[in-house]
Amino acid sequence: MVADGGTTLWWIWPIALFAVTFVLGMVAVLGGVGVGVLFGPIVGAFFPFHLDFVRGAGLLLALTGALSAAPSLLRSGLASLRLAMPLALVGSIASICGALIGLALPTDALQTALGVIILVLVGLMAAAKSDDYPDVGKADTLAAAFGLQGLYFDGVAQRKVEWRVHRTPAGLAAFAVIGLVGGLFGLGAGWANVPALNLLMGVPIKLAVGTSGLAISIINTSAAWIYLSRGAVLPMVVAPSIIGVMLGAKTECACFSSRRPRSCGAP
Amino acid sequence: MVPIEHKIYARWVDWGTRLGLGVLTASFIAYALGLVEPLVPPQQLTRLWALPVDRYLAVTGAPTGWGWLRLLGKGDYLNFIGIAILALITVACYVRMVPLLFRRGERLQAWLAIAQVIVLLAAASGLFDGSH
Repeated sequence: MVADGGTTLWWIWPIALFAVTFVLGMVAVLGGVGVGVLFGPIVGAFFPFHLDFVRGAGLLLALTGALSAAPSLLRSGLASLRLAMPLALVGSIASICGALIGLALPTDALQTALGVIILVLVGLMAAAKSDDYPDVGKADTLAAAFGLQGLYFDGVAQRKVEWRVHRTPAGLAAFAVIGLVGGLFGLGAGWANVPALNLLMGVPIKLAVGTSGLAISIINTSAAWIYLSRGAVLPMVVAPSIIGVMLGAKTECACFSSRRPRSCGAP
Repeated sequence: MVPIEHKIYARWVDWGTRLGLGVLTASFIAYALGLVEPLVPPQQLTRLWALPVDRYLAVTGAPTGWGWLRLLGKGDYLNFIGIAILALITVACYVRMVPLLFRRGERLQAWLAIAQVIVLLAAASGLFDGSH
């Protein structure tokens, strides 16, 4: 296919990228899996782009997906800006550090580490449980200071759900680690944000999913700017990927409009 | 039950994302169809995109930081307008939140928002573009 080094058939790659990301967008809607976490390993393994450009594109892809989902989540009350703000601030600083470290490390070491991270991630996803309405006895001091509590309407249960959080320092630490890993490998972080919010901090699962998306849109912005500043963003990789994922997610959402709203448009 | 800042934040993100995606799609079509001459022609890009970013920059003379603004006449760098819009949405939303939060007396949240804006602007400033 690329006997001449691919110079004349260059257009095959953006088309292939568009096709793959279109499918990823559909899979994300069907399975509720973040595209940001699938993109890096799949494109890094099967496409000829250097991992630096794949990670830059992965971050922008996760960012765009999170931005697209944020308006409906905020309007429906299924994401809390108040809850996301302190966590995203810590996550942003850590993700900048992660991006800088990632761009300084040798590619071989990064590829090996990415493989290990993916295995850990699969294990986490398989083992992680969720708690619809965790029992939070008393908010901790930090949570009280930040005002991390509120009320949202659960459309399925048809009732108002009151929430508050505990273990806020541990939650901030978790978001620092998650931000570092996300910036380092160019991954979306819903796979880790949701358990941290739900199981560690006691946020009801629906609010945890929505707030995780909002936090990704903030955290990934900072890491994405590092990759942009360092020149690690190739429009030929980024643009077809973003367009493919967005169209894939919208197609799947249109086909399965009866699906739970939280899974639609949140690649 | 949905706070006013959620509604405003949602509106800004919604329009910003539509604008960013629209600009990115239009500029990519222009780039891919060769309507605007790129800095690095796609035929050459296939030999270069497997290089680490440092070597890619050295070979192509591609810019770092905000240097892409000088190359907006090139098809590939035209795409950076849409990408930059997408990456600036959160900053704009947070800046919009600050006076709202101060007006409601939520000083801690307002300072958190200011701190976040500073972090994002530091990341976007080019301070970490490797030349410092």
